Amino acid sequence: MDSVDGYLLLMNSLSSALRQGWLDLASARHSMGPSRVLSTLFDHKEQSAATKLQVVDHDGLKPSEPKPHFALSKWSLQEECHSTYDVSERAFTEPKMRHRGSVTTPENGNHESANTTASSTGADASNHVQRARSKALSVFGGLVSPKLRTAQLSFETALDLIVELANSRSNMLASFSQLKE
Amino acid sequence: MAGRANIPTNSSALIAIIADEDTVTGFLLAGVGNVDLRKKTNYLIVDNKTTVKQIEDAFKEFTSREDIAIVLISQYVANMIRFLVDGYNKPVPAILEIPSKDHPYDPAHDSVLSRVKYLFSAESVASDRR
Repeated sequence: MDSVDGYLLLMNSLSSALRQGWLDLASARHSMGPSRVLSTLFDHKEQSAATKLQVVDHDGLKPSEPKPHFALSKWSLQEECHSTYDVSERAFTEPKMRHRGSVTTPENGNHESANTTASSTGADASNHVQRARSKALSVFGGLVSPKLRTAQLSFETALDLIVELANSRSNMLASFSQLKE
Repeated sequence: MAGRANIPTNSSALIAIIADEDTVTGFLLAGVGNVDLRKKTNYLIVDNKTTVKQIEDAFKEFTSREDIAIVLISQYVANMIRFLVDGYNKPVPAILEIPSKDHPYDPAHDSVLSRVKYLFSAESVASDRR
């Protein structure tokens, strides 16, 4: 019953996020004009989704009871993060680089270079996300209402909740099939 | 019990959507839209001209595609094809019924929660008999 309660709480949060998204979308349509926020503007050329899911198959108690776990990969960020993560890992293991003007001990230098790398990769990821968001918004023209941007964020939040709901559903169904047996 | 589902382990998969225009627009803004080489999309916009057959076909297509891991369907649309949604029992793609602008979420109609409720009522009947 706890899992059902959890599912309902998540669904409640999802409803709130969606309501906010719909409201912002309606405001954007009002300010930009109804002809500028239409489904007919969607690009029907071949394109790959920027936000995808990773599915990991966990076996339930029995191998015949699959229990998938879903993880969200927003704006292809996981692929970016994997490549930047490798860089920051390398910073700990590679020989220390001499930084001009830095007066630090070797260990501190190593940590500093790792931190610099981590913060620059964080900035890269952030820039990547901003570019990806702008690309998604560009379907509706060059200048879009700020409300369309907030609608985008609301629906991104909704996606996070949806993935949690999917995992909760997966756990519930696995538990109940065990109970049935 | 359905056989083991063909789950694309540790690979990227899509979210499919069967919903009204605003819901689909919002999720496309969040980056989930996909169009393949054959111009097939991972979403269906349901309006007053969409037939039940079109919704059924989209549901069957999305639930049989190996590259789709979650199918989002507005609950009022799911109610139009309730027999199909309730009859679906694979773990992947996961079917999630979501609210729409004009139709709030009703847990009484959710297929997953209905299954849970049925199980609990069956369990309580079985324990009463003992």
